[in-house]
Amino acid sequence: MAPWLANGLIYASALALTAGGITLLYITTRTFNFAHASMATVGFYVVYSFIIFIGGSPYRYFPFAFLFGALLGVICYYGLNRPLLKRQASEITLMMSTLGYDLILLSLIQMYCDFLTSNYKLFPRRVNMNMYDLELFGINAATIILPLMAIICLSALHLFLGKTKFGVAMKATIENPVLAGASGINSDRVYMVAWLIGGGMASLGGAAMAMAQTGTPVMGMNSIPFMFAGAILGGLHSLYGGILGGFMVGLAEYAGVFLLSQKFGPWILGYRMGIPLLLMAITLLIFPRGLAGIPWADLFGRLTGKKRGVQA
Amino acid sequence: MSDDKQIVSRLKGFLLRREVIITAVIVALLTFLLITRGVPMILTIFIDFAIFAIVTLSLNLEVGYTGISQFGRVLAVMAGAFGAGAIPGRVMAAIMGLPWGASYAEATVNFKLVPQLTAVLEKSWFLSIVFLIFCLLVAALCGAGIGWLTSRPAIRLKEAYLGISLLAFGDLLMWIGHNWEPLVGATTSVYIPDPFRFVPGNRFQVVVITVFVIAFLIYFFINTLTHSPFGRTLKMVRDNEISAAAAGKDVVKIRTRSLMIGSAIAAIGGALYVIYTGAATAIGFTRLTWTFWPWAFMMLGGIGSNLGVLLGVFLLTILRSMITIFRFQVFGFLIQWGIDPTWLEFTLMGAVIIVVVLFLPHGLVPEKVEPVLPADRVQKVITNMSSRGRFLT
Repeated sequence: MAPWLANGLIYASALALTAGGITLLYITTRTFNFAHASMATVGFYVVYSFIIFIGGSPYRYFPFAFLFGALLGVICYYGLNRPLLKRQASEITLMMSTLGYDLILLSLIQMYCDFLTSNYKLFPRRVNMNMYDLELFGINAATIILPLMAIICLSALHLFLGKTKFGVAMKATIENPVLAGASGINSDRVYMVAWLIGGGMASLGGAAMAMAQTGTPVMGMNSIPFMFAGAILGGLHSLYGGILGGFMVGLAEYAGVFLLSQKFGPWILGYRMGIPLLLMAITLLIFPRGLAGIPWADLFGRLTGKKRGVQA
Repeated sequence: MSDDKQIVSRLKGFLLRREVIITAVIVALLTFLLITRGVPMILTIFIDFAIFAIVTLSLNLEVGYTGISQFGRVLAVMAGAFGAGAIPGRVMAAIMGLPWGASYAEATVNFKLVPQLTAVLEKSWFLSIVFLIFCLLVAALCGAGIGWLTSRPAIRLKEAYLGISLLAFGDLLMWIGHNWEPLVGATTSVYIPDPFRFVPGNRFQVVVITVFVIAFLIYFFINTLTHSPFGRTLKMVRDNEISAAAAGKDVVKIRTRSLMIGSAIAAIGGALYVIYTGAATAIGFTRLTWTFWPWAFMMLGGIGSNLGVLLGVFLLTILRSMITIFRFQVFGFLIQWGIDPTWLEFTLMGAVIIVVVLFLPHGLVPEKVEPVLPADRVQKVITNMSSRGRFLT
């Protein structure tokens, strides 16, 4: 497999997980979670620390990354988000509060890196996780395992939302919080679970992202615009839209850079972040409700000549 | 007896005025630092304070008064910095017959070229001042341009969507500056001819005084602007867009104007910063320093209150430098573990944001609710109208 496609797939699945988390938090609690940046980095450092101190393949420690991220998410919910939601704070206030949380997490990550550097003589500020990767069918295992992992996680999420009682309650709260509350659903617990899953997905995504890029303490900080771009491309109103949007943004970045650099030369590599942002700008300008807002059934119906759905 | 009481109450009223209290806090903190740390420390704090005050005041104009979720402050600051770094030096080089095209920003050319320009500026105070003013003008124009560009999405998008788009485009501009060499030298920096060399003695003090005077003028300008009819219109648009439109105000135009003025001012802040440091480096303009920190300053001081913004910038600037000063005494335990205490700056900023959001939602100096007319005049209008029979009481 071409290296750009291999890395692109890993990166895209990482972005799908993180953008899905952002979308989930937005549709449940109206919060654009800036802390996703540092939660992702935390996920990467959890995996890194386990490898350094215990050894073995990185995939063994991905569940721990999920648990750690979920813990951070729950702390954020009880410490910050819940009082603000009770006060019915504005979207901007909610966003700023997670920014504060993000800065604190970032400083803790930096201190942890300092600690590792000076006490264990490691180099945690530039980590190439591929070094610890296995080989599977002649290619890096990450290329196969990580997209698979993303698919499994997201299907689990889908089953959770569709088949379990709590998942259905969660869906109901997303659709209409007032009515859901009236029918006896505890929205507080729904929000808590949303933060738990969102935080876990962020950390999992960060751990996956480090397999495609150099892991640094500001890895999440640098890629948060892309996570948001993915969420916005998905339309911010549908969880599956967010996941698909993240995947498309990630793949488009790698594919676009590869194709453009073949045509124009390697100087284009420096402007790679323009591609996802362009995608985001186009989305916002042309179809502001995102991928999920396009009436696909209607479009296909027109193409095939069949009439589907109710025409407004 | 009654006279005494009146004087006391008047004195109390004067002493409890917000302006007086804030000045007292600032003077007390500065005296403390002056006694314990000496002059150089104070000057650094002054510079940081003045530049961030300019940037934060402009942010407050857009966020606090117009209600635009400006998460791309770094865009305008960067526009000013790039403008001041790329254009005035080139113009001067062109006049002097030196290379001024794309090669001006190349590291090997630039570092030989700029000392020649500085040598010319050093000889004449008139040229230096003209150069400084030209720098600021160019920066303000670039900033206004960026402000106009950001106003295009600002018309369409709401709240968080707008914030995230602006944040992303701030990053994009930084990467363009970091990769496109003719602008500000890509990975290397472009040096800027120094307009402060004509004064014999310490350059640093002159810089401080100049920047401080400019910051004061900008504070004065923004304060006047926000207390003018235009400022009231801005607040009207912020509070209720629809009612503002119903009252015949062109909301799009007002938002565009506010963004252009705010961005021009922020660009002046960016230009002053690069003139002070002597070099413009694209990678230094991160969204952390130039967007999130001004937001923290503004939230601590109080959104929508110019005086509060000054206080917020001042307190946090002092706190930040305190961390640097006392890192060995207070945070020695961190150093023992091999941790650099400067990371505490981030913890501090995050904690400030969280505390303000949770416990002090209006900041230290909340926005004053100012009636458009004094109460007695409102009463008069009502009685007038009811006597004419238009208004049933």
